[in-house]
Amino acid sequence: MVDEKDYLVANNLNEAKVLMHEHCGNIHVLAGGTDLMVALREGKRSGRDTTYLLDISNIQELKAIERKKVTISDEDCNTNEDYIRIGAMVTFDEAAHSGLLLKTAGALCEAAKSVGAQQIRNVATIGGNVCNAAVAADSLSALTILDAKVVLEDLRGERVLSIGEFITGPGKTAINEDELLTEIRFKPLEDYYSAFVKLGRRKALAISRMNVAAALAFEDEKITEARISPGCVFATPRRVQSAEKILIGESPSEELFMEAGEEVSKEMVRITGRRWSTDYKYPALSAVTFKALAIAYNQAKSDT
Amino acid sequence: MQKLKFVLNGKCVEVEVEGCARLIDVIRENLGLTGTKEGCGIGECGACTVIIDGDAVDSCLYPALRAQGKNVTTIEGLAKDGRLSALQQAVLDHHALQCGFCTPGFIMSATALLNKNPKPSREEIKNAIAGNLCRCTGYEQMIEAVLDASGQTEIDNDSA
Ligand code: FES
Ligand code: FES
Repeated sequence: MVDEKDYLVANNLNEAKVLMHEHCGNIHVLAGGTDLMVALREGKRSGRDTTYLLDISNIQELKAIERKKVTISDEDCNTNEDYIRIGAMVTFDEAAHSGLLLKTAGALCEAAKSVGAQQIRNVATIGGNVCNAAVAADSLSALTILDAKVVLEDLRGERVLSIGEFITGPGKTAINEDELLTEIRFKPLEDYYSAFVKLGRRKALAISRMNVAAALAFEDEKITEARISPGCVFATPRRVQSAEKILIGESPSEELFMEAGEEVSKEMVRITGRRWSTDYKYPALSAVTFKALAIAYNQAKSDT
Repeated sequence: MQKLKFVLNGKCVEVEVEGCARLIDVIRENLGLTGTKEGCGIGECGACTVIIDGDAVDSCLYPALRAQGKNVTTIEGLAKDGRLSALQQAVLDHHALQCGFCTPGFIMSATALLNKNPKPSREEIKNAIAGNLCRCTGYEQMIEAVLDASGQTEIDNDSA
């Protein structure tokens, strides 16, 4: 049984911040609800102990995908940077079909498409996925190769954290009790070709067993930039720089992609140690990485 | 208890619900429309699919109070003046059901698809009903029913 809840609806961001502040610690944000509704019934998770649920699905500010200029204040200078901003309440379906994201974050669109059933994609949100910080969250590896940042807001102001800083462990994040995750932002990967490959149990529904997001940039037939992030492999999302280094400066080839794939598996063993599942995971992760790199490269080829 | 008002199958309804009530329970228990089925209760089977403002959603995962002011269509809302919708008729014609438990959910998913995309391809149909599990039919007849309802014969679709 679920305890009685008070269902609150915020109609704009400020209203939401005020409610979060007022009921700090006793309120749970309801994004798409696809995880929370199940957790509430099973009596799992913090949602159970709070009196209030806060529905943020009516907040227009949280639904946009847009290009934006953001001023970055460094120690000594202010620079204007071009950013893509994804509102926290953008659904997987909206992300999968966004023309702007298709151009600037192809792997993220693929990851969004790979999520659940149409019924889930219609309601589940990118912000909710990130806040749950599930090891198997589909969007995390794709956001990691974008070097995406999350914006957290409360009544006092905002903080910007990298995905790596935000997610502190499986299911754990650095969000404060009265903060809202309002947007995810990243620098557009315009010259990159990116791919997302997932090894699911059942294509339509499985949350990822294992996935890899990869992005490559080329110049004169050589790889100039590489980003690789496996999902569902490490406790917190990260890139595998040792594998990226193998690629940079080289000419793309099957052998090279295989070598990089192997290195991702080696990194997995270095970080997580050998486990009963390693015999299965090691070749699988190499193969998924290889496939992601090959798809990214093929896009580049068909583009020229 | 909180007040919930929404449009269900074209009629305005008003009920009192608990803060964390699920839409499926409100539809089945409070409003007595039992065509919407509950299979898994965790968003995996699609038996509970309804259409909200044009989108297919799992009503077992949908907070009832989020439906406030929205347009909800269930399987009971498809027939007009005692006439089945084209898809409902096609499901019968193609024997696209056996036990029938998945059928309302499947029909709602496919109806949402047809409303947005009147001539879907086989791939698009498969994708739209991928979240609807059926343990009886093997899906083939369901796909044929959707093609038929969209006025496409197999031959048309293959050559397209
Ligand atoms: S009952 Fe809702 S998806 Fe199975
Ligand atoms: S007809 Fe029995 S589950 Fe689909």
